[in-house]
Amino acid sequence: MITKIVSKNFDIKDSFKIDVALKNGAYSSLDTLFSKKPQELIDTITQSGLRGKGGGGALAGGKWQLASDHKGIKYLVVNADESEPGTFKDRRILSLDPHLLIEGIIATCYAIASHSSYIYVRGEYEEFSDVLQFAIDEAYDRKYLGVDARYRVDIVVHRGAGAYICGEKSALLESLEGNRGHPRLKPHTPSPEFYFSEPTLVNNVETIASVPFIVKNGAESYREYGTEKSPGTLLFAVSGNVNSPGVYEVPFGTGMLEYIEKLGGGVKNGKKLKAVIPGGASTPILPANLIKDVKLDYENLRDIGSALGTGGMIVLDEDASIVKALKNLLRFYHHESCGQCTPCREGTAWSDKILDKFIAKDASRQDLEVLRSVSNSMNGKTICVFAPAASGVIDGFLKHFESEFLECIK
Amino acid sequence: MKLLVNNTSIECAEGDLLIEVLLSNGVNVPHFCYHEDLGCDGNCRMCMVEIKGSKRPQIACDTFVKEGMEVSTISDNISEVKRSILELELLNHPVDCAICDQAGECKLQDYYMDYGLYDSKLSTPKTKKGKHIDLGSSVMLDQERCVLCTRCVRFTSDITKTGELGVIGRGDGARIAVAPNRELSNDYAMNVVELCPVGALTSKDFRFKQRVWFLDSTKSICHGCSRGCNIDIDYNQTKYTAEKVHRFRARRNNKINQSFLCDYGRLSYKELNDTFTLEVSNIEDFKKILNDEKKIALVSPSFSCEQLQGVYDFCKDKKISLFSLKYYDDNFGDEWLKTNDMSSNFASIQNLDISTNKEDFLASIADSNIVINFDHKYLKTKYLQDKRVIQFTSSSCEKNYELVYAIANFAHDSGSIINCDGLRQEFYSTKFTDKNPRLLELLEEFR
Amino acid sequence: MSFSFNEENTLKIKTLIQSYPQKRSLILPLLWLAQKQDSYICDDAMQKISEIVEIPYMHIYSVVTFYTMFRLKRPQKRIIEVCRTLSCELNGSEEIKTYLDSNHSDEYEIIEVECMGACSGAPMCTLDGKYMENITKEELAKVLK
Repeated sequence: MITKIVSKNFDIKDSFKIDVALKNGAYSSLDTLFSKKPQELIDTITQSGLRGKGGGGALAGGKWQLASDHKGIKYLVVNADESEPGTFKDRRILSLDPHLLIEGIIATCYAIASHSSYIYVRGEYEEFSDVLQFAIDEAYDRKYLGVDARYRVDIVVHRGAGAYICGEKSALLESLEGNRGHPRLKPHTPSPEFYFSEPTLVNNVETIASVPFIVKNGAESYREYGTEKSPGTLLFAVSGNVNSPGVYEVPFGTGMLEYIEKLGGGVKNGKKLKAVIPGGASTPILPANLIKDVKLDYENLRDIGSALGTGGMIVLDEDASIVKALKNLLRFYHHESCGQCTPCREGTAWSDKILDKFIAKDASRQDLEVLRSVSNSMNGKTICVFAPAASGVIDGFLKHFESEFLECIK
Repeated sequence: MKLLVNNTSIECAEGDLLIEVLLSNGVNVPHFCYHEDLGCDGNCRMCMVEIKGSKRPQIACDTFVKEGMEVSTISDNISEVKRSILELELLNHPVDCAICDQAGECKLQDYYMDYGLYDSKLSTPKTKKGKHIDLGSSVMLDQERCVLCTRCVRFTSDITKTGELGVIGRGDGARIAVAPNRELSNDYAMNVVELCPVGALTSKDFRFKQRVWFLDSTKSICHGCSRGCNIDIDYNQTKYTAEKVHRFRARRNNKINQSFLCDYGRLSYKELNDTFTLEVSNIEDFKKILNDEKKIALVSPSFSCEQLQGVYDFCKDKKISLFSLKYYDDNFGDEWLKTNDMSSNFASIQNLDISTNKEDFLASIADSNIVINFDHKYLKTKYLQDKRVIQFTSSSCEKNYELVYAIANFAHDSGSIINCDGLRQEFYSTKFTDKNPRLLELLEEFR
Repeated sequence: MSFSFNEENTLKIKTLIQSYPQKRSLILPLLWLAQKQDSYICDDAMQKISEIVEIPYMHIYSVVTFYTMFRLKRPQKRIIEVCRTLSCELNGSEEIKTYLDSNHSDEYEIIEVECMGACSGAPMCTLDGKYMENITKEELAKVLK
């Protein structure tokens, strides 16, 4: 079940050191890379069906093409702000195979004609970004990066400082420009992102780390894994009430229950499974009875009313309190809202406060209705998708576990 | 091109902003963060409209018109959206209406009456923030009343470029503030009070003085300098008291001041309340003096065109040497509204060819017995030895002069003035008559 | 208290200025350098940064208050951050927090934080910013004494 495309060097000792990495295939895609024209590479990525691995799942090739077509100085910004609860995969790449990421950055920059890349790492990941910086320094030293490289790419590691919303790509660019991380209004026509008004490609760490494999082995070999619409692999993760929480790379289309049982070691202490949040805290919760035949791909999860997100599964056992779990997540949303637009700023706080009444078993029938209507006001009326995600979370919990909330009504 | 708005056809042009088209065609679109002079920010979400073909409601302030666009601002769907956004704006709003100066001109009140009228469903504690914070420059901040439209922040960062205001904190703890130990301090600071759609930023000068629904307004022009910013004079007269001017508000003029005033000009309303209250001199006494030979007059360069013409004719008729002097301050003018020329109608002085040479004036004074001051600041407090000084004053004045006559100020004597760019503008008086006569009426009596 | 960047940081700043197309991108990196140097960000540090990037002071202050990792007050004790988000809560983070509050709050400042990306090591906390995963009360007792 485990497939080692992005995670192939994770278990090798000192894999972050360039000599070890080189022995294990680092930078081996560069010859193929430079033998192709940039547009060919964009076409390869498009054909491979590579989708963004930061939670959005947008086709990478489409974004590359938009950035490449737009006139101006091009920037590549790698989103390493990984703050989605239940997600801890990008950190593995940063500290266990940073050279794979660097190789992917060189390839992506070459494809979109960029010479400058910024890796925005969340502030809390200091120890991992130190390893990343060490690897980057070594890469400069060995002339894979910098003016003396075959294709000049400069990489700057830029640390965030504790804001989940800076993982939203336009908020990330605002933060990179020296501002508060406020997401930007979305354009009305397809358009690349902009860093100081120059066209910019923003991609997740794992997405970029997947590029060397595709460059070296071709689009079709990526398609050998996964499903037709969700090709390739993902560093899925599992945590919560399981025996072996961790990051295990599998192809899309793997069965969720199989993943949880075989790789996650099954529910801890022999308890029964109650619910799974499939892809990080922003995806709607799924009760155990719906999970039996679920496959881990974008389409399947969308069809049953949830989403793949970042693929970070959170497992709740039969004794986990659903009301407490929702409170936990709404507290997270309340804390992380940037505060820019009204529905999110007020809605995330209000819904968090209402949950306090449920926790205290002091709620009224009206509180439940209000919770539903607050969720509705946060959906589709905001600048970014943070509030709609919170809305989806609330709706998911209320849809599948209403009885537990009704028990809290006095 | 044509748009369909609420089933009515509206004319507009390529590249127009939907909210501007709607507002200028009388379609009520509630909004907080959008402002004609500050642009769109897209954070309040109040201006959402339904556009055919769009899955979700769109904010009108960030939508450009397209041929054949069909917009609804009154459908059930969009009305519910507006109501729910308003509910969220009001959720943590303190119930301060009874003590808030904004009452009567508050967008939250207006929108609640138009789109709200619901019962509060709040059953959890409200978020508390700072109240009555003195920001400096006569501006008071109440963070709880704020809807975080960021107009004030954008004003200080984009327009005055002084950057004193900003948003601190995050989420529902976000609030407007100045940095610790810093102040709001620029020559246009009080504009944020007018920009603020709610009672978060209020004028310390106006605080608790008057309920706005008791105020009358008249269109006027600021006389603080030669820019001629357009204003509304807000005034009223309560029982047993004299008429009082309470404040100036900016009146939109896209050729001159957009919707802004400098603080100096904004607060210059106080001069209008500083009227002459002592006993005026006898008319006959002046007529006698006019028989003397050596007469000189100094006229204020802030008089209206009509007043200046009257003084000019009068002086010609009575053989009085007429002068005027500039109100000039090198340090006052700036790159925006304020001009070094602090008179409001110097252009007319020049048009009438009235002498403004200071040496000539001083020489002429030395040579005269009678000095008539038509409200000019230069002679309002000077004591000239051996001269007989006659004051025509629109403001208070010590009675140490031979003769003093009080005249109506520009709030009670409509006319026109010409600004520094040669634009002639009309200003109008309040609906109350001044107890002091208008200058031209007085001059008539001296004939 | 006047603030200036030490020699090492001043050299770093020169490199940083070359690494970004506009100076304002330096705001976050400079705030980090200031906090690392001084253990917190003082008014003068923000003033200095405002001068280097040529952006008004209020903007710097506004940015600092947005991000939770920046400290405006000098910490009096070493800091322990306990993750409180879902995976950690499902694995006993609340007991860890209670234990720390009852036994170590005199010596350490105990803060709750949101998901740290260490869900497979739940419950977790950080000490001086370093990750400690799969922690137990016993282990904490040993490390924190």
